[in-house]
Amino acid sequence: MEMTQKQRILTVARGEWVDKLPFGARIDVWYNYHSAHGTLPEKYKGWAQTDIIADQNAGAQKRFFSICKERFHDMEVVVKKDGDWETREYITPVGTASIKLLWSTNEGPWLAYEHEKLFKSPKDYPVIKYILEHTEPYYNDEYTKERAEMGERGIVMTGTGLWGAPQRIMREIMGYELFYQEMMDNEEKVAELIEVMSELELKKLKIAINSELELINLCANWSDDIHTPVFRQFFTPYFKKANEMIHAAGKLSMAHTDGEMRRLLPLFPETEIDVAEAVTPAPQTRVTMSEFRKGFGDKVTLWGGISSIIFEPGYSNQEFDELVVGLIKAMAPGQRFILGMADNLPFDGDINRVGRVVDLIEKHGSLPIWI
Amino acid sequence: MIDYSKLSNAVTNGEWKKTPELTQELLSAGAKPEDVISKALQAGMEVVGEKYSSGEFFLPDMLRASRAMNVAMEALKPLVEDAKIAKLGRVVLATVKNDMHDIGKNIVCSFMRGVGFEVIDLGCNVSEDKFVETVKNENPDIVGLSALLTTTMYEIGTVIKKLEAEGLRGQVKVMAGGAPVTERFALQMGADAYAKDGGEAVRIAKRLVGR
Repeated sequence: MEMTQKQRILTVARGEWVDKLPFGARIDVWYNYHSAHGTLPEKYKGWAQTDIIADQNAGAQKRFFSICKERFHDMEVVVKKDGDWETREYITPVGTASIKLLWSTNEGPWLAYEHEKLFKSPKDYPVIKYILEHTEPYYNDEYTKERAEMGERGIVMTGTGLWGAPQRIMREIMGYELFYQEMMDNEEKVAELIEVMSELELKKLKIAINSELELINLCANWSDDIHTPVFRQFFTPYFKKANEMIHAAGKLSMAHTDGEMRRLLPLFPETEIDVAEAVTPAPQTRVTMSEFRKGFGDKVTLWGGISSIIFEPGYSNQEFDELVVGLIKAMAPGQRFILGMADNLPFDGDINRVGRVVDLIEKHGSLPIWI
Repeated sequence: MIDYSKLSNAVTNGEWKKTPELTQELLSAGAKPEDVISKALQAGMEVVGEKYSSGEFFLPDMLRASRAMNVAMEALKPLVEDAKIAKLGRVVLATVKNDMHDIGKNIVCSFMRGVGFEVIDLGCNVSEDKFVETVKNENPDIVGLSALLTTTMYEIGTVIKKLEAEGLRGQVKVMAGGAPVTERFALQMGADAYAKDGGEAVRIAKRLVGR
């Protein structure tokens, strides 16, 4: 019996051979845009996004924010909403901190942009530490529903949240620039906050491990802006600890590595993460797919390779085909490789190019690939 | 002969605790404040831009270098009239409408300021009308447009069209960049130039203003 899309993806994620290259397609930017504007192609009006991907004969990849929700205790959380804007004020016995969010679907799923970060100045250290120490994660039932809807047609891509513990401090709580400024002025306090965040995130990881989820996302939006020394100081130890737990449970880990990766690439194998997803090569970044293959080594499965921009109308079908076939050949013999978008079908992309990738796999993607 | 290289290297290497003292040393040796700015501080930042583009330097290196330059500037500001600080040109920078990402734009701002451009940073999620209003009021040499999303990168074209419609396009050069933006796309949208990163943005901006 032929493998399902999900089985094919998970088998390759484990490093085993299958009959042909799997393809996990992600279309939420395109789908959300056209659903909101009533401009889905006539055929797909009223369809769910996974049904559309299945109609194109591809495996599906759908982002789901987190397998955990959070509740706060021994503090008051005041939430004020004004249209798409949301202000959250955390009133704790050691002080108050606030965050201002803008909710948007510009990147596909509903995402909150931190218009004002929780950390604004060093006086916020004790308050944020208190908030993290008094946050309790619990299982998000909505994942069960998403998983059932996806079935064998692909993977619901989720984990403890969008980012791992160090990156939550770096990106979500402080923002890159303030983080590096604080590393110059208050490195010990930054390290303490990351430690407290790690304890919270590892609690969430236990929930993820105890769930049905097979492939656990540990971190997203990697790029060279995460400096090498900082990566080795904070990220690598966190990932190693997390992977020890994940691998002991017989599960796999994943990172959404969709940025410029020149400097982080050689560090990736040190993390013991199993799958690098949304791998984004040239022309969108400066790293070629062959360099990615070599850099990730033979223990990491690569998922991605098809840059979003080549789905744009500016690239002809012929150019698109040449780039995809070139990508397939660059990955020969094809072990530990899942074709995928890096990282999404753009809103003005042609949905039928998802099916076009499937056709190209039929012609050129039987495994092992011979060139 | 005054040697500016110690201070210039300290800026490049982000040695922000040393730069105020090295600045004082140069002033004590008779260096003019405006020369300290151009021959040491801006020259040091120039190297940072080159190293950033080549992949040797990354965001924290740039932030340390900016701080090293800024603390030295604090010591110089009371001594030099603003008009005497050589300006390469005036640049308006922003992330386009519906896009809340500002880190790339902020990096470009830091590099541009570091080498001597006067930068007007409009922030992120900036409408075409705001660009037009700013071009009218501030008369910049360059407008820099940043977009991080495929859903917002077409706003680069919207801004350029609006500048054309208002009869302002001829008086400014437009450069564009951002993760999904390529040179091909930027030029298709009507930009004069594309820059991949902050270091490259500096080189291209200089070329656009004839420096």
